[in-house]
Amino acid sequence: MKTIPATPSPVAMPPARVVLVEDKPDVRVSWVKLINSLPGFTCLQACTSGEDALRVIPQLDPDLVLMDIFLPRMSGIDCTSQLKQQLPKIQILILTAVEDDELIFMALEAGADGYLLKRTRPEDLKAAMLDALAGGAPMTSEIARRVVESFRRENKQAKPVIHLTAREEEVLILLSKGYSNKEIADRLSIGTETVGSHLKHIYEKMHVRSRGAAVARYMTGK
Amino acid sequence: MRPAIQWLRLPVLLFFLARLTVHAQGNTNWVYEATNHLGQWIWDTNTTDKQTCLFWKSFRIPPAAKISSATLRITVDNAYTVYLDGQEIGRGGDWRSVTKYDLMAVLKPGRHVLAVEAFNDRLQAGLILGLHIHLANEGSSTMDILSDNTWWLAPATQRDWYGRKVAQPDWYHAVVIGTIGQPPWQSWPYGITTVPPLRPVALPFWQRGWFQLMLVAVCLLVVLFCLWLMTQLAAQSKAQAFLQLERVRIARDIHDDLGAQLTQLLLLGEVARREYPENSPVRKQFTQICDRARELAQAMDEVVWAVNARRDTVRDFASYVCKYAQLFMAAANIRCRLDVEAEIPSTLFDLPVRRNLFLAVKEALSNAAKHSEAGELFLRIFRRHHQLCVVVEDRGRGFEPSKANGDRNGLVNMAQRLAAIGGSCEVFSLPGEGCRITFSVPLPHGKRRWFKRAILPFDPQNELKNSSHFSRRTA
Repeated sequence: MKTIPATPSPVAMPPARVVLVEDKPDVRVSWVKLINSLPGFTCLQACTSGEDALRVIPQLDPDLVLMDIFLPRMSGIDCTSQLKQQLPKIQILILTAVEDDELIFMALEAGADGYLLKRTRPEDLKAAMLDALAGGAPMTSEIARRVVESFRRENKQAKPVIHLTAREEEVLILLSKGYSNKEIADRLSIGTETVGSHLKHIYEKMHVRSRGAAVARYMTGK
Repeated sequence: MRPAIQWLRLPVLLFFLARLTVHAQGNTNWVYEATNHLGQWIWDTNTTDKQTCLFWKSFRIPPAAKISSATLRITVDNAYTVYLDGQEIGRGGDWRSVTKYDLMAVLKPGRHVLAVEAFNDRLQAGLILGLHIHLANEGSSTMDILSDNTWWLAPATQRDWYGRKVAQPDWYHAVVIGTIGQPPWQSWPYGITTVPPLRPVALPFWQRGWFQLMLVAVCLLVVLFCLWLMTQLAAQSKAQAFLQLERVRIARDIHDDLGAQLTQLLLLGEVARREYPENSPVRKQFTQICDRARELAQAMDEVVWAVNARRDTVRDFASYVCKYAQLFMAAANIRCRLDVEAEIPSTLFDLPVRRNLFLAVKEALSNAAKHSEAGELFLRIFRRHHQLCVVVEDRGRGFEPSKANGDRNGLVNMAQRLAAIGGSCEVFSLPGEGCRITFSVPLPHGKRRWFKRAILPFDPQNELKNSSHFSRRTA
């Protein structure tokens, strides 16, 4: 039996602790193996359902959660929303088989810090997880356009809502035009990390806004 | 005093003499004319004051007979209304004069009904009439319908008696009560009245029975046709809706079953690959397997997108094209810049249109990737004059459009695809100036057709609940 030579972690940091939420058993096993094979990451536990995740994750308090979107009973989106209320600091990446903008947008509003296609290369998976941990989950141009549109629409309705700052909107518009984080940093003469933190704020605002909307819906009894 | 009276008498006597002479001369003519071809005086068995009698008689003119004249003479002591075939043809109130009706134009060979509503004011009563018909073609024969005891009397309570085609069982015969010249009608007739010839009423065509019947029939047919059309339409829209649902179902099945399996395959491949050291041939093969699986997943996404009826909108089209372009251009190391009109509407965009347009754009992108040698490519999507425009623009090598046909058959392809969906394709390029390809297709009108296909509502919550093939399988 062949074994993988253990690649030593380049930095003397403890590996990031990841929890996976995935209902399909064989897929779950593969994911766990894959995560553990990535240097700098270790999979603490794999939950089989959203309910399971809500029970386990607050106790483990991991650095990162990988959440499947289609789960039996409680969906990955609902689970994300509840987890974020309990643990606002936790980083959640949504796993999805197909890039469905509606669903991804919903997940982001529920508080997800980014999303990943299940067929992403392991290298890209690693990069995305590192980005999420660093605070700036990547955002595709399509989602960026949607975010800008949704915030603008809210503004038109003249409700007391959360606004994007001018810089945040600028970042989003550049993203929607197909610029990468690095190119945006160059154009705006800011650091790549700053772009990441802008994105993080945008995610937070989306989440706060959707929570606000949910509360408003609840209050008005709709 | 006496001679004076004598003198006075003479002119009176002279006047009477003169009058008698005139009478004697003209009498023969008009009295004969008035009383010729008349029947006998008839009436009900008993006579009362203020009495109304309903006389009825049917007769037949032989078929193929040619009527050269038909004259009805009639009078009633005291008044009458006469009907032919249920239609009133005249009235009279002075029994002392005979009325003559010319019926030539209204009589035809066949069966007819003559009916008289007669009224007696007081004392004696009687009806006398005669219809004299000349038939030209049968050796100049004649026909007479006279008042006699074959006439029927309808009871006063009978309704529509004058329009009846046959005598009813409770009717009875009239009786003859006298002949011409018999008292109290001995000094009769005093005169004759001739009514202008009767003409059949020329009804305008829209009042004719056949026309009204036809109109009703046509209306009925139109109504039936409309109903048929409506059922057809309903069936069609039902089929259409079914088709849409089927497309959604197929898309979901592909996505759920194939997609999930493929993802699983990919994961297994990735995990297996990592169990072999770098540069080992087995690992290389696994890498190839994973790459192929990824391509397959990508291709499947395209199929799902194309089939899914939920994605039949301009908005979805734009977002899909952008996504595709970014992915494709990234692989070719060309930066893809997007310039998409904000707030693109969710107007319906039918499958053939979006599929052809997408394939054409794909062709343009792959041309740019192969030939342009540009570092940057612009994809613009916007609306202009009720058209959706997709522009693929690069700042690369460019080419001379007139000379470029051999290896650029893609251009012909693109033009054909756009022509098939009623759009146009415009290529602008100069050597060294890059290339700009503009696709434009007419946008469906925003206004709703009354039988418009509904855009399937997208309910992500529902999608989350129903779509997982896993929940289905475990159920």
